[in-house]
Amino acid sequence: MADLHDLVRDRLRTVLDPETGRDLVAMGMIYAIEVDGGHVRVDMTTTTRGCPLADFLRLGVETALQSLEGVASVDVRLVWEPAWTPDRMEPVRAGA
Amino acid sequence: MLGKALSRWTLAWFASAMAFLLAALAMATFGLAGPGRWSEGWALAAVHLFALGWLCQMMLGSLIQFVPVLTARPLILPRLALPALILCGAGTLSLAGGFLALDGWPTGVLLAAGPVLLGLAFGLAMLMLGGTLVATRAWRTQDGSTVLLALLALPVLWVTGAGMGWAFGGIAWGAALLPDGLSLHVLLGAGFWLTLAAMGVSYRLFPMFLIAPDGSSPWRRAALIAAALALALLLAALGVLLAGGDPLPLAVACGLACAFAAGLYLGEIRRIWQSRRAPAPETNMQWSRAALAFLALAALLVAPALILGGPWAEAAVFVALAGWLSTLTLAQMVKITSFLTWIQVFAPLIGRAPVPMVHDLTDARAAGRSLALWVAGVLVGAAALAAQVPALFDIAALVLLLAALLHGHELIAIRRLRHLSETARPAGLPPMILPPSDRRTDHDIPRPASA
Ligand code: HEM
Repeated sequence: MADLHDLVRDRLRTVLDPETGRDLVAMGMIYAIEVDGGHVRVDMTTTTRGCPLADFLRLGVETALQSLEGVASVDVRLVWEPAWTPDRMEPVRAGA
Repeated sequence: MLGKALSRWTLAWFASAMAFLLAALAMATFGLAGPGRWSEGWALAAVHLFALGWLCQMMLGSLIQFVPVLTARPLILPRLALPALILCGAGTLSLAGGFLALDGWPTGVLLAAGPVLLGLAFGLAMLMLGGTLVATRAWRTQDGSTVLLALLALPVLWVTGAGMGWAFGGIAWGAALLPDGLSLHVLLGAGFWLTLAAMGVSYRLFPMFLIAPDGSSPWRRAALIAAALALALLLAALGVLLAGGDPLPLAVACGLACAFAAGLYLGEIRRIWQSRRAPAPETNMQWSRAALAFLALAALLVAPALILGGPWAEAAVFVALAGWLSTLTLAQMVKITSFLTWIQVFAPLIGRAPVPMVHDLTDARAAGRSLALWVAGVLVGAAALAAQVPALFDIAALVLLLAALLHGHELIAIRRLRHLSETARPAGLPPMILPPSDRRTDHDIPRPASA
């Protein structure tokens, strides 16, 4: 069976930033993924601290992960330290 | 609470502002305003429907939405947003009606009441916006202090406007403001309050839209210092005027400091633009460049306008209000409306269903067309004022009116999700303008156990 950590990361790649159309991992908005048994903890950020979308994105991530097989509980935290910068984005693949 | 960071009344401010814009442009189209006749009652009414009804309401509505983003804290006293909107609309109408007294209409009482209503509206807005900025000590950030400086100019603007309005009722200190205080009044409204607020907001929004590094910069600091110096010079000019002296030298110094601040601001925006990661800037940013070009033109015109007056002043004020501030507002309005609509409709679906992108809600070509028409109208109008050709100005007003109607049509299409395919459109749409009646999202979404 694939590592739950990788499954979580793959699932986060299905949650898109509605501004850029890129997923949260590619945007560099996922700061940490910790897996402890079936318990998953994610630290994520938004591109700007007061972003009105922040809570919706956090809930969206929570929802997306809860339906993942092998996940018993999910804890998603919004963090803004260190602040997001465009340098955190994955380079755009050619043709993407 | 979900969506707590969203102001419920922003779209109502926008809709009210659009109605005032159309009214002002219709008046100008019918020849009620034009070169050389800005001190007539109908023209002053049209100017203030435009300046207060359209631009100030758009700015206040945007700030109510934006100050929480800037401070990462919910607005203080958000319940004041609706009373402030109603007072602002009523005050603008009353002031405009009151100006007709200058043409002999029996509306003098409205000229007395308008400033009172506007004063209350500004006061409520300052409580919400200033209160939130002060509570978060926003003066420590460059974007926050720029918006705070803009808010500081608002009561001074009000004092000059109310004084001149009440001068007709025999208030002596108000009479002292006429006619030399007019240029200070216009500088305060267009130059300080609206321009500084637009600068502060764009420091945060432009990097977001262009995906550029955000944060403080020496350009911003220098622009802030120049603007603060300019405001001090303006207050000094006002003091000299009220004491019976000639304010012109100080006013010109103030105008030059304003122009310098605008130059520094444009330098900062250029820096942000060059460091962008967004591969193709969207319509709102493409057309903001036209607005920035108008800002540069207005900055060049400030000193000649103050010294020479006449066509120079008319063209400068028009370029600032219709060119710089309105083009920026119209361009960003498309983005903000799409974004707010997206949040209302699709944000609760993140992580559970496929959702469109924010820009899918807009037809970039339609928005670009109305903005291009607007910019053309501004160019014709500025030429008509510079050359003092009334018929040409009427044509410009008609072009601007058409552009505003087309733009309004696109904004309605965005609100109605008309650019999405049938399948991507949800069954129920949020109300066009008013806030959703209840916190629907709380009921529809089963909350995760941990929330
Ligand atoms: C952004 C805000 C504002 C802008 C851009 C603005 C702009 C202007 C302009 C361009 C003129 C006249 C020009 C002329 O005759 O050449 C004017 C005059 C005047 N404004 Fe405003 N205004 C603003 C806000 C206000 C407010 C809040 C008040 C009242 C509380 C006000 C009251 C007046 C009065 C009474 C005059 C007339 C003066 C006269 O007798 O000629 N204005 N304003």
